[in-house]
Amino acid sequence: MSQGQLMTQAPPAKSNPGLFKRNPPIAGEAEAIEAAKNGDPEAFSKLYALHKRRVYTLCLRMLGNVSEAEDMTQEAFLHLFRKLGSFRGESAFSTWLHRLTVNLVLMHLRKKGLNLVSLEETINPSEEDAPKRDFGSRDPILAGSVDRVALERAVASLPPGYRMVFVLHDVEGFEHNEIATMLDCSTGNSKSQLHKARLRLRELLRENQAAQPETIPEVAK
Amino acid sequence: MSGSGKIDFENLKPEDFELHLPELFASAQGKLSEDSRLQKFFTKYPTSLALVRDLETIAETARGLLEPTEEPSDDVWTNIQSKLLEENGGIGDDDDQPQDAPRPNGGLPKQ
Repeated sequence: MSQGQLMTQAPPAKSNPGLFKRNPPIAGEAEAIEAAKNGDPEAFSKLYALHKRRVYTLCLRMLGNVSEAEDMTQEAFLHLFRKLGSFRGESAFSTWLHRLTVNLVLMHLRKKGLNLVSLEETINPSEEDAPKRDFGSRDPILAGSVDRVALERAVASLPPGYRMVFVLHDVEGFEHNEIATMLDCSTGNSKSQLHKARLRLRELLRENQAAQPETIPEVAK
Repeated sequence: MSGSGKIDFENLKPEDFELHLPELFASAQGKLSEDSRLQKFFTKYPTSLALVRDLETIAETARGLLEPTEEPSDDVWTNIQSKLLEENGGIGDDDDQPQDAPRPNGGLPKQ
């Protein structure tokens, strides 16, 4: 399958129990899907209402830009309208929709310039952005907790390549082999990028904790 | 655990451990900080254990970010309806729209 095909086709409905677990069906969703397939406008409106926040949040995290995120949310739902007939229900609808959205966002990024160079290279940020190695240093640790808001901010400030892999793996729950296919890179590269992203986040969060020692952690371990 | 078969867990040094970390995390069954093969190493190098725990905490917290926090503006739905109207004659007549659904001709209720 060519890259172009991969990016423009609706995602294949693939069984993935893990993602079903993470994306349990929403009450009334199955009926809305079937009705929307038959052209019921109310049902499509319901699907939009059910999924707009998650699709938009995903776009915003991947793109880091409100205007582009709204444009891609619009594209994702237009694509959904056109491709809904191919959804077979073998995976969670939200998983299928997210994969569709991710593919559209990646296609958008490639059109912006990343298509001319292999993503294997372009998702590697510059050396200055790369996390420093620890090698057993005695830097302060995260005190066993991470504030969700602080993490959101830290993720937003990651270099695009790190942010992409982190959002896809740790937030969205995609496997490394799936990410490798989507980003057209090796599985090892996906693992390496994820690790570097987490290391960079650790640095950013420690800096944040050091700057705000009075902050009460929202999420305690 | 795959991908870690060549690691000498008995004589592991922090530098080597960090090189293997991406693969160790990817192939971990459960928490890497609780991997029995690494307990001796973690006892000897507590900073490496702290690093692993920090990265586990980040990954665990990230899972909580799946819940959406942002909402697109009403314009997004208006644009979707306009586009579908252009392409297919819309997704239905106004009269077919649910009471709380946005209408292409304005008066959009909150989605």
